[in-house]
Amino acid sequence: MSLSEQASGHPRLHQLPQTHQLKALMTIIRDRATKRGDFVFYSDRVIRLLVEEGLNYLPVVAKEVTTPMEVPFQGVAFEGRICGVSIMRAGESMEQGLRDVCTSVRIGKVLIQRDERTAQPKLYYSKLPRDISDRWVLLLDPMLATGGSASKCVEVLLEAGVREERILFINLICAPEGALAMLNKFSKMQIVTAEIDEGIDDRKFILPGLGDFGDRYFGTED
Amino acid sequence: MAASNTRTSTLMLRSAGRPPWYTPDGQNLPAYMIGIAGASASGKTSVARRIVESMDVPWVVIVSMDSFYRQLTPEESRQAFLNNHDFDHPSSYDYGTALAALEHLKQGLATQVSQYDFSTHSPSSESQYVYGASVIIVEGIFALYDPKLLAMMDVKIFVDTDSDVCLARRIRRDVAERGRDPLGVLQQYDRFVKPAFDGFVRPTMNNADIIIPRGLDNEVAIGLMIQHVQRRLDAHNAVLMRPALVRRFRDLPGAADSLLVLPQSNQVRAMRTILCDRTTPRADFIFYADRLSRLVIEHGLAQLALAEKAVETPTGCAYRGHAIAPAVTGVTVLRAGGVMEKALHSVVRPAHYGKILIVADPTSHEPRLHYARLPPAIAQHQVLLMDATITSGASAMMAIRICLDHGVPEQNIVFISLLATLQGPRAIHAAFPAVKIVVAILDPHVAGDDLLIRTGYGIFGDRYFGTEE
Repeated sequence: MSLSEQASGHPRLHQLPQTHQLKALMTIIRDRATKRGDFVFYSDRVIRLLVEEGLNYLPVVAKEVTTPMEVPFQGVAFEGRICGVSIMRAGESMEQGLRDVCTSVRIGKVLIQRDERTAQPKLYYSKLPRDISDRWVLLLDPMLATGGSASKCVEVLLEAGVREERILFINLICAPEGALAMLNKFSKMQIVTAEIDEGIDDRKFILPGLGDFGDRYFGTED
Repeated sequence: MAASNTRTSTLMLRSAGRPPWYTPDGQNLPAYMIGIAGASASGKTSVARRIVESMDVPWVVIVSMDSFYRQLTPEESRQAFLNNHDFDHPSSYDYGTALAALEHLKQGLATQVSQYDFSTHSPSSESQYVYGASVIIVEGIFALYDPKLLAMMDVKIFVDTDSDVCLARRIRRDVAERGRDPLGVLQQYDRFVKPAFDGFVRPTMNNADIIIPRGLDNEVAIGLMIQHVQRRLDAHNAVLMRPALVRRFRDLPGAADSLLVLPQSNQVRAMRTILCDRTTPRADFIFYADRLSRLVIEHGLAQLALAEKAVETPTGCAYRGHAIAPAVTGVTVLRAGGVMEKALHSVVRPAHYGKILIVADPTSHEPRLHYARLPPAIAQHQVLLMDATITSGASAMMAIRICLDHGVPEQNIVFISLLATLQGPRAIHAAFPAVKIVVAILDPHVAGDDLLIRTGYGIFGDRYFGTEE
């Protein structure tokens, strides 16, 4: 079984339904010829789908309401408070998608970069909501390659008291080796993604991938 | 020569909402066609207008045969500019074009009726869009001439006004309104109008079912004729759509094959609870209605079959995916369906938008079409039809019928709703099996014949727009 197949069969890795429509959106954002306006528009659309899918893994409780026709209706209500945590800089592109669905949601930020001396990801900055230990966390980073920075970020969250089963890592594309490594390292966290790719190259780029998401989204390509 | 170049030859008249023009199976009933012929200035148009005014038919079109003058040869055209061409001869008309347009109208399809430009003596490059007439009146001196046109007409009328009266009217009209000199009018009358009438127009009186002597002055004859036509039309309209659909589809088992319901995830269930809660503040109602709209529209778009497309990524790899739908039109059924337009706008660009206003009759609750405006190229588009709620399916069927009448293939239509009963989609599916129906919430509990969804969100438009009583 290939790594991709292992990843897509993993019970804690949730992929969006693989419809023609989703493939069409991914085709646009992966195409090197796509202009930035389209890249941003269609990325935002996939991000919205991911956020909606991610929120489905949050719990609900039974709730009875009365309809305008004066009839009781057995429904459910959102349970549990949430926050977003974006990994700078690319993860910030996903914040608006979360805010559009959860108005005035609290969002923490983390800056993690590779330490050139040790080749290990290093935490440079983090600012998290004070009561994050009581919350569910939607961890936002569009690309999961090796999972190095994201793993570092999960460690930061765990140190802040977040319960591991309350961490949902939302990304657009993941490389199977990175996703499997993270799911093995953290036995309760979950991942929500749009597509699982083939692998990573020696420069740690996801293949086929879409290049550098942050550069394409924020317009800082060379 | 019949008219000045400023005269509008096709006249669409609307007085009220249009009731269903199709059977509960979704098949169009043929429009009622009345032909009115008679001498020039005999009062054909006046009779046509009197019929329209007296009948209880909301949408009527009066088509003049003048629209179908044929293209002249260069020599004929030269003569026409010298006032030497005989426009009163039956060969001046293009009966093929007339037949095609009138057949379309008779079938209830949106039709471009050609226009004739009297200043250039040639068919105009512009045509007039006509849609939705339940009664079509065709008037002209040769309205009762062509056998194929005659075969389409339900009733054929010849207005037999005394030729002296016609000539007197003609002189008055051409001198006063068109600035012609009386002698010229008389010359034309002697040379073309009179021989054509005697030779070709008067004989078509034999094709008429009813001959009205004295034209508009003959109130008894016109009154009798209107009664006859009205009886025929009332028979058409006797079937009430909603009760018919309820009877047929309420108690059937199972869901329609064409129905797709959004996966009932935690979020969808929680949003439904908020929308159904009578105590939800309007701001929250709007927010969650918009959020649910976007989800159901994404689900609707996900039903489209798209062509494959391969691209190269910035890493130099090939990626095999799909191409986005090239042309999408969103058609909203106002008022409630208009809410969903915003959601479509945020996911598809550039989308085209059509709007349809269907209002329930206050006593019968039957759908009435008041307004429809669709993009001209809609027949080539994927169409997302949107309305907030499907109850009996009567209004949805009307909206679908309008799209079909504008040339959209049935399989290109996806009907999207927030809330549906089981029976509504069944009715839609029975009439239009290739239309996909995508809904966010299904509610099987419809009580009573009033078809109100007891566990729904109430009147969607009222809660969204804040117009509750």
